[in-house]
Amino acid sequence: MRIDGGCHCGFIAYEGEADPETAAICHCTDCQKLSGSAFRTVVPVQDSDFRMTGGKPTIYVKTGDSGNKRQQAFCPQCGSPIFSAAPGDGPKVYMIRVGTIRQRDQFAPKVQVWARSKQHWTNDLAAMRSVEKQP
Amino acid sequence: MRIDGSCHCGYITFEGEADPEKAGICHCTDCQTSTGSAFRTNVPVPGNAFRMLSGEPAIYVKTTAESGNPRAQAFCPKCGTPIYSTTPGDGPKPSYMVRVGTLRQREQFVPKKQNWFRSAQPWLAALADIPKNAKQG
Ligand SMILES: [Zn+2]
Ligand SMILES: [Zn+2]
Ligand SMILES: [Zn+2]
Ligand SMILES: [Zn+2]
Repeated sequence: MRIDGGCHCGFIAYEGEADPETAAICHCTDCQKLSGSAFRTVVPVQDSDFRMTGGKPTIYVKTGDSGNKRQQAFCPQCGSPIFSAAPGDGPKVYMIRVGTIRQRDQFAPKVQVWARSKQHWTNDLAAMRSVEKQP
Repeated sequence: MRIDGSCHCGYITFEGEADPEKAGICHCTDCQTSTGSAFRTNVPVPGNAFRMLSGEPAIYVKTTAESGNPRAQAFCPKCGTPIYSTTPGDGPKPSYMVRVGTLRQREQFVPKKQNWFRSAQPWLAALADIPKNAKQG
């Protein structure tokens, strides 16, 4: 389906084509740190389907446990994480951060990866006290 | 308890004092966009108990809160990791809302409460049922 999204401040905007069946949660410790949250939610978008329509993200290249390098793109003005991709030139797959997609409600994750470092309380959210707004 | 944390690249490091009983989830749409994820996890650290040890975060002042209150959002300018939010401007801060994912002790900060639940992603309630891979699938 068509998607469009951007960072919180509006500097970064993009559009593309993504399949909700391929949305996923990543519980790896890198994603916990880089999101500042419990996990990350991602969906792949092919190079040919992805178009940046706003500003230029800052790129941070992280080196994984495997030694693989990975570009992490974020907004230089508000910090919103936008995507990760392989470094260098040539066609890529962009792993878009689902929280930045305007249609994010339609991207329910279908798989959880790196479950070995999962924060286990995330299984029990239905039982956790909740308030509609902020107290 | 004592906490310490950092951004992913190591430029920003901090330490402080935080109560695990005060850890919470924020499901507001601002937090969804700013984390790129489904929600944010926070714990308050009193202003006088928070100390930056290295680095200088970039500050984004967001003004979209329903209350109209501006809020400073701190993140690492080199790797983008969100670090905390606080009241904007100079001078001592009453408190910092530290992003739990940046804490070395994050396993000990199990959220006790979910705020802004009206915009929570509905699939979260059944997260335990989503198929899992121990590593990458
Ligand atoms: Zn931005
Ligand atoms: Zn990950
Ligand atoms: Zn950093
Ligand atoms: Zn929030």
